[in-house]
Amino acid sequence: MNIRSRRFTFGIVASSLVALLAVVFFAGSTLAADEPLTSEQKQRIQANCQSIKSTLNQLHVSDALLRVNRGQFYESLAGKLMDRFNGRLAANDIDAKSMVAITGSYRTALNTFRTDYQVYEHQLADALAIDCTKEAQAFHDSVEEARTKRSKVHQDVLRLNEYISDYKLAVNTFAESYGEVSTGDAE
Amino acid sequence: MSEETRSEAIEHLSFWDKHRFLVLIAITIVVAVGLVAVSLVIYNMSGAAQLDLSRPGYKAVASQAQTNTAAFANYSATGPINEETIKEFQKLYDAQADSISAVDAFGGDPLNADTLEFGTTDTTTGVE
Repeated sequence: MNIRSRRFTFGIVASSLVALLAVVFFAGSTLAADEPLTSEQKQRIQANCQSIKSTLNQLHVSDALLRVNRGQFYESLAGKLMDRFNGRLAANDIDAKSMVAITGSYRTALNTFRTDYQVYEHQLADALAIDCTKEAQAFHDSVEEARTKRSKVHQDVLRLNEYISDYKLAVNTFAESYGEVSTGDAE
Repeated sequence: MSEETRSEAIEHLSFWDKHRFLVLIAITIVVAVGLVAVSLVIYNMSGAAQLDLSRPGYKAVASQAQTNTAAFANYSATGPINEETIKEFQKLYDAQADSISAVDAFGGDPLNADTLEFGTTDTTTGVE
């Protein structure tokens, strides 16, 4: 066996080990998430059922308000500023491809935000409908599911904020290049 | 038409002819219930329900919904492009972009088991 084939075999073995470790790690984390509750945890949920539900109800309401205000803001930003500026550039025969592309991605992200929030809201409503004094396990799993879906909504918000920053950057770049061109023309 | 002929004619009327008005009302109610059911499904499926703060339980926060979007001064979609108009847009846009980035919406982890009191703290016995 020459050095080349040895290296090849070593590479295969090493990548197999890495793959195996990854499978074990992810399987382990999945198992941990689906792990049944201990009787102590169940008792705790049953004992605190009312206060937990009250907290969840408050969160449900405050998230609804946040969704309304944020949604309105994001929609206004696109409709009243981005689209209008893009339109104005187009009307003046100025290339605004980068800004139009960012606006497109922003709108797609906004739709994802809407859908993900809807999914999260349904999940939280489902969790609230479960009687935690009787079905502690189902209640716990449902809340965990809602938690995952809420973090997805948070990711959507971060993505939207990124597009907002990207658009700002694109406008700044455009303003700089426009300034240079207009100064050059004046000279 | 004599009284006798009239009663004879009534006897010959079918069930539907006799109860035409009631049938009309029943069909109207069924159609109305069907349409209401369809509209409720659309209301829930479309996401409109999530935006409706007039639902029971949401009235307390309904007044906090921002209905005024005057902060978004209308930037005209028509007109010339020059340094002044670009700066005007940058000013409007930056103010909004900065305000939105200042708040971490849907951040934190309020649905964490520990936050919701079924994590580590044992409140059943009062012992931690």
